[in-house]
Amino acid sequence: MARLVVEGLWKQFGAVAAVAGVSFEVGEREFFTLLGPSGCGKTTTLRCVAGLEEPDRGEVRIGGRVVSAPAARVFDPPERRSIGMVFQNYAIWPHMTVFDNVAYPLRLMKQDRTTVERAVREVLALVALEGLERRFPSQLSGGQQQRVALARAMVRRPQQLLLDEPLSNLDAKLREQMRFELKELQRRMQVPILYVTHDQAEAMGMSDRIAVMDAGRIVQVGSPQEIYTRPADRFVADFIGLMNFIPGRVVGRDDARLVVEVLGRRVTVEGPPGVSGPVTLAVRPEDLELDLLGEIPVRVEVRSFVGNVVDYKVRADGQVLRVQAHASVTVEEGAQTAVRVRRALLFPGEMRA
Amino acid sequence: MATGGQALAAPLPRRYRVDARTPLVLAAALLLALIVVYPLVQVLIRSFRVEDQWTLAIYARALTATNLRPLWNTVWVSAATSVVAMTIGTLLAFLLVRTDLPGRQFMRTVVVMPYAIPPFFGAIAWAQLLGPQGYLMRPVLELLGIERAPWTIYSPAGIVFVLAIHTFPFVFLTVAGALERMDASLEEAARTSGAGTLAVMRQITVPLVLPAILAGGVLAFMGSVANFGIPALLGLRVRFFVLTTSIYNALNIPDFGLATAMSMLLVVVSIVALLLQRRIQRGEGRFAVIAGKAIHPQPLRLGRLRWPAFALALTFGVVIAVLPIAALVLTSFLRYYGAPLELASLTTRHYVYVFELDQARRALMNSLGLATGAATIAMALGTVIAYAHVKAKVPGSGLLDVVGTLPYAIPHTVIAIAVLLAWARMGLYGTLSIILLAYVLAYLPFAIRTTSAALQQIHGSLEEAGRVSGAGPLQTFRDIVLPLVRPGMLAGWILVFMPASRELTMSILLFSLRSETIGVTIFNMQDGGYTQIAAALAVVVLSLVLAGNLALRSATGGRLGF
Repeated sequence: MARLVVEGLWKQFGAVAAVAGVSFEVGEREFFTLLGPSGCGKTTTLRCVAGLEEPDRGEVRIGGRVVSAPAARVFDPPERRSIGMVFQNYAIWPHMTVFDNVAYPLRLMKQDRTTVERAVREVLALVALEGLERRFPSQLSGGQQQRVALARAMVRRPQQLLLDEPLSNLDAKLREQMRFELKELQRRMQVPILYVTHDQAEAMGMSDRIAVMDAGRIVQVGSPQEIYTRPADRFVADFIGLMNFIPGRVVGRDDARLVVEVLGRRVTVEGPPGVSGPVTLAVRPEDLELDLLGEIPVRVEVRSFVGNVVDYKVRADGQVLRVQAHASVTVEEGAQTAVRVRRALLFPGEMRA
Repeated sequence: MATGGQALAAPLPRRYRVDARTPLVLAAALLLALIVVYPLVQVLIRSFRVEDQWTLAIYARALTATNLRPLWNTVWVSAATSVVAMTIGTLLAFLLVRTDLPGRQFMRTVVVMPYAIPPFFGAIAWAQLLGPQGYLMRPVLELLGIERAPWTIYSPAGIVFVLAIHTFPFVFLTVAGALERMDASLEEAARTSGAGTLAVMRQITVPLVLPAILAGGVLAFMGSVANFGIPALLGLRVRFFVLTTSIYNALNIPDFGLATAMSMLLVVVSIVALLLQRRIQRGEGRFAVIAGKAIHPQPLRLGRLRWPAFALALTFGVVIAVLPIAALVLTSFLRYYGAPLELASLTTRHYVYVFELDQARRALMNSLGLATGAATIAMALGTVIAYAHVKAKVPGSGLLDVVGTLPYAIPHTVIAIAVLLAWARMGLYGTLSIILLAYVLAYLPFAIRTTSAALQQIHGSLEEAGRVSGAGPLQTFRDIVLPLVRPGMLAGWILVFMPASRELTMSILLFSLRSETIGVTIFNMQDGGYTQIAAALAVVVLSLVLAGNLALRSATGGRLGF
């Protein structure tokens, strides 16, 4: 049974619908991510779940309890929802010690001192902050403050954990490390997580499922793999990973495959039936192969080594393409060669620049 | 409204959620209407009313040649003061921020001292220094072998001189601030383009801080326009009137109509200056390059001029900060003003007299009580308004903020008239209550501003974190917001208490027997020729000011105070 259910959520700011009919469910122990560019409505959605924003329409249920349903005039303020939340800037109270910060939610529940003490120590151990109880936030590093925020969000064992871009203020190395720790923490706490980020690598690395958002709506929901390999539309294809978009035209059919004319050449790709006329070919850089015998002649303009792969910028008939190849094969800058399309997605219609 | 298929999904109208904070905000709105709006509207209405008739007669009287004189005097005295203040303030700011002058930090503390001394104390002190029998005047006259000085401090020039000393810190502080915030790379870019030190100063630095110089100049102008103590102590006896002193005179006659009309003129001058300041600030937006970067440019090397410049700056600091206080202290210990300066002339009897004088003791208690009351009421009201506006974003609270900070633009003389018109008829005439009402009205903007600033420092997510932790709105306010703004509120309280405790301009128009403030008592002693008593009282008050400043500094960790 799903712990968090959001149905038809709608939130208007003046003339702008920040969230325009969003529905999703987060399952028991699921790590669910709202991913999208800034301004897509992902944070507003999260804040509606938290009760920090009051939605205009739709329904939010946490653990079976309806916490927000404007049509029925139901709105539980944040303090009456069983949630824990980590803010982008951590929001650690600077006038309280680490211990007091983490103990605050429990003290509000009027728990006795020994219970509070034990629970706080337990959760601080979980985030590896033992021994720092008496410190003030100003004496902590960014990573430590982040852990305090996590501990505070988890201490009263909420039904739902909400994380709003919690890693964006950490440096690259720490961010990497926290990704694994977050997954590990979730496994131990067995709490469902609703995670918000604009960083696709973060989303890909941690999520069980991802909802890609654009302009207040969910465009696609799926596992990281599904979203990467089968993006629902051009927006998702462009937003997730690198993608070459090449304008073309369906000119024929070869068994189940389509023959498409791109850049004056014909290539054969898998595609949905019934597509004809102008199309856009979407090809990942790793699905383009540098090969003298390939379909599309190109000239190598820039080559750059990125560890175990080599990034190329090649030019074909006026269009620049990105190609990723294994480091074992390299082609000189300025060389004339060709690329072969190994795999491609087909979107109907002309591409707009 | 919505486009196409989305029309179906048009949102429900947004409701404002009523919680425990609402009645508090409503109460604040009501108090604001009573304390701020009602009196100020009274001035406006009464300036058009004679014997229950709507008329322009009062303005006709105010705009006759004799009554236009004070308006003109106010404008030219303030303009002259502003020019002097801009010159001194800018030069000092450059010298103390941008050069390798020795002891710059110390000098910065010294030159803003006049900021903390009540202006009418300055007038008293400078009259003692440069008056006909002044401590500085006598040796000069003896040296030159002349009987009477061709110049007297009791003159428009004397007023401009003392006003300038008390207003130049405005310019100094704004220009020094701008120089510090200016991105050093702008100057370095000019230098790498081939410009020399002086060319950089003239072509890059000065144009960039010009808005700050002008903004400081307008502040100095407004301070001079609203000042009462200096033109009263130095101008009344030679019958040189500015608007504030004319209103004082009109009330002594008493001619309420004339006082009201003059008040409107004073408001107009003040508002014109304020609009000018707004324009300059908008102009400053164009130079948005001056934005908090902490890179300090190479200080300008003074070379051989280093020590002469230091001597000059030190002399200036001594003259404006040390001499006036020394004069007050000296006078307070002299048997009689003008006694020969020798050990035998010293006495403590004025202090003994002051502490035994009922009127002085009463005035001191009145002032402390009024300042405590005004600071507490203004901070309580100001905190509710600031919180409603900055944090809770209650609908309509923007208006509360505007109305609450409006008195900042109103000269205190006008506030006293407003309070008189509003409350004198209700039996409050001559009571401490009416002075308290004036103080709350006058100082409310300070309370709202400091609390707003403190609240803005608190990121919204800190409160939200309280809510998602399970605390309701009031509990969040108590546990999170209040502890975090407390230092700011304490600073705001002291910022109201300090000027209120030595206030003169309003209380001189509102006091009567038994409701004198310490400012009024000192003023009247000085005006009545009891120079030593006034000096002794002034020294007592200055000691309290100093103690208050130390408290302010420790409350704010050195951010406020001097």
